[in-house]
Amino acid sequence: MKTSRSLLSIILIVILVMSFTAIALAQDTEVVPIKVRCRAKPPMENWRGLNFIVAEQDLNADLEAMGDPRRVKVEIIQDNLDWGEYVTEFVLGYGAGEAPDIWLTGHEYIGAQSEAGRIIALDELLKEFPIFNLIFDTLWDCTMYKGKIWGVPQDAEARPLYWNKSLLKQIGWSNEEVAALPGKIEKGEFTLYDMLETAKQAVDKGVVKPGNGFWTRPNNGPDFTAFYYAFGGETIDSATGKLVFDKIAGLKYYQFFYDAVQKYGSMGCLGLGWSEAWHPGVSGGNVLFWVGGTWQWAEWAEIYLKDLGGETYAWENFGFGLIPAVEKGGKPNSLTHPLAYLINSQCKHPDLAVALIAKVTNYGPNTRHAIASTHLGILKGQTEYKFYKQSRLLSEALYMLDYTTFLPNNPYWGAYSTVTYEALAAVVSGDFTPEKAMDFVVEGLQRELGDKVIIK
Amino acid sequence: MRKNFQLEREKSSLSSFLITKSLFSQLKGLLLPYTFLAPTLIVVTLFFFIPLVMVFILSFTNLDMTNFGILSWWQPANWSLNNYIKIFTNKFFPKILNNTFIYVSMTLVFFNVGMALVIALITTNINRRIGFAFRLIWLMCRLTPVVVYIIMWKALAGPNPMGVINKHILYPLGISGGGYLLNTYPWLFVILANGFIGASFGMIIFSSAIEAIPKDYMIAAKVDGASTWQTICYVTIPMIKWPLLFVTTYQTLSLFTSFEQIMLLTDGGPRLYQTEVWSLTAYHRALTSYFGNTQWGYGSAWAVILVIIGVIMAIIYLRVFKFSELMQEPKIDQL
Repeated sequence: MKTSRSLLSIILIVILVMSFTAIALAQDTEVVPIKVRCRAKPPMENWRGLNFIVAEQDLNADLEAMGDPRRVKVEIIQDNLDWGEYVTEFVLGYGAGEAPDIWLTGHEYIGAQSEAGRIIALDELLKEFPIFNLIFDTLWDCTMYKGKIWGVPQDAEARPLYWNKSLLKQIGWSNEEVAALPGKIEKGEFTLYDMLETAKQAVDKGVVKPGNGFWTRPNNGPDFTAFYYAFGGETIDSATGKLVFDKIAGLKYYQFFYDAVQKYGSMGCLGLGWSEAWHPGVSGGNVLFWVGGTWQWAEWAEIYLKDLGGETYAWENFGFGLIPAVEKGGKPNSLTHPLAYLINSQCKHPDLAVALIAKVTNYGPNTRHAIASTHLGILKGQTEYKFYKQSRLLSEALYMLDYTTFLPNNPYWGAYSTVTYEALAAVVSGDFTPEKAMDFVVEGLQRELGDKVIIK
Repeated sequence: MRKNFQLEREKSSLSSFLITKSLFSQLKGLLLPYTFLAPTLIVVTLFFFIPLVMVFILSFTNLDMTNFGILSWWQPANWSLNNYIKIFTNKFFPKILNNTFIYVSMTLVFFNVGMALVIALITTNINRRIGFAFRLIWLMCRLTPVVVYIIMWKALAGPNPMGVINKHILYPLGISGGGYLLNTYPWLFVILANGFIGASFGMIIFSSAIEAIPKDYMIAAKVDGASTWQTICYVTIPMIKWPLLFVTTYQTLSLFTSFEQIMLLTDGGPRLYQTEVWSLTAYHRALTSYFGNTQWGYGSAWAVILVIIGVIMAIIYLRVFKFSELMQEPKIDQL
């Protein structure tokens, strides 16, 4: 009896000691929730968010090793919301104090969000993670605003001119001519108007339907800016940071799209639904030339060409190159629209948020995303990384970064883009002549932006 | 003397009690109707009048994504008429206004009133059970979630070989190029998609009104040798004049503010502002933009004008159609 009482006492004491120890240990660690918001098209772009799950374990191990009592708990919110709604969600979430700690978004939103004080400058925090030195210098330029760095680049892409090889052959091109096209574009031997002329031949010969010689994306977006740049346009004044609209380049730009419709049987694409008509149109062999993004390669292979052989079919039937120059011997271009991780100014532990971003900014996680989504790598030496090298598209499209251009980081880019696109859509529909489009843009920009835009 | 004084006091106390009671009863009688109205008043105030006042104030500001949380939009110093000037100087303003009137009038005439009446007349003149079943089927458009409903329309309009109409109807007949029909005939699909839903509302109202007409009139008309067409023209239509006016008014105002089907179907396209109606513009300006430059102030100005148009239309309908008479005893019972 006595023995059992002693045993019971010992057990109780052990339980009490263990409980107190557990409580003391629990009080020593603090769980820090970090909310990560990503825009990603499933399944191709899932790694944008999923990489943080791996990063969470890795960072917690680091924190434990150095005796930091904090432990991160990552919450990922990831979907394919439209950009406009995505930005609205962040802004209203910020107003309610519920915005995500890490927000992955297009670099062009940095201007507006930093002006409003919703994101923090990262210059000092980044210095503690040398891994960030691996990111290409040109990509850091996209995340700079008023001399400070406000975001960490997440990926990059090229927006090539694609063509359908079999349709080119149907209008009489030889295999050699088709294969030589990317090189001819790069050297400036095949211009934008050569492309329209070829498109017209395809329409005239009945190879494609009228309107299907050349397509752009079906609605407003970054691609059109690359064409405006091709005609010598500029969007930002480096001295004042104000937006710029160049009337001479603008007129040529609108004239090009006017000609594309009126003379060359192209541009039957504006207003199409992406999944109902645009993707089936270009991947289904109905269009000769079109401007798309490298990420769409994965989309076509995974969704639209799956039954035909996926990527193998795409390599057999599609070619791609830079957006041609305007004149013979001119410089072709491309446009990249890097996404960047921004940190909410309401985030209570920005150091941990940056530490998490540092974990996903490495060859392994970034290459996983790059391969799955056919986005270009962002790290120096990534082309030598074993797994990155295995993607043919990423290797063959990488040279385009040498010719790339960017959107400006300006808070009023949205309004500027809406006005210039509306004029383009009116030119394509035949409602405006190029001259009328110019008047509309000049009047619209002055009305919407006043002295925030310089009309040259 | 003392006794009298006591009596006087009791009398006075009783009369003051009675006066208080009477006052209370009067007050109760006065407040009771408002108590019953209170829930409605609270809901309407919270979800209509307060937002309306806020939208009205916002319409004078330049509140947008760039200055949200920074601009003190409630201060009169930040108010101006710029948004209204921008609307009326917008080059697409006449096109949007024209689109709105096309959309409202065509949908109203051909579907929300026209087809609703035809369905009601047919289904009340055939076997009762079959008529009921047919009306139930027609209600499916309204019962289906709008996103699913529009996906179905897109599947119907899709290009060959995906589109049902192209593949199974037009292509076999050899009368189509197989293109995306939403791009070729956007207005047709906008009106059809909206009309099929809208017709169900009028159909229910008209059917019940027709069913309520005493059979004696129909029998009397037949005895007098009236044809079906004559019975409809001279008996049925006059008898359902009031439901007809109500549906016309209600559906006009409803169509002015509806945009969700158009947004999901064409989003105002396919060509620039081709099917963009006023309420959709208000939505686009205030809440959507590819690059996120949502302009809440500017969008509010578009919405305020829509409210003004709606109120004017409502007043015109009330005056022209003499709606006060609707509140009287039904005409049918007075006859």
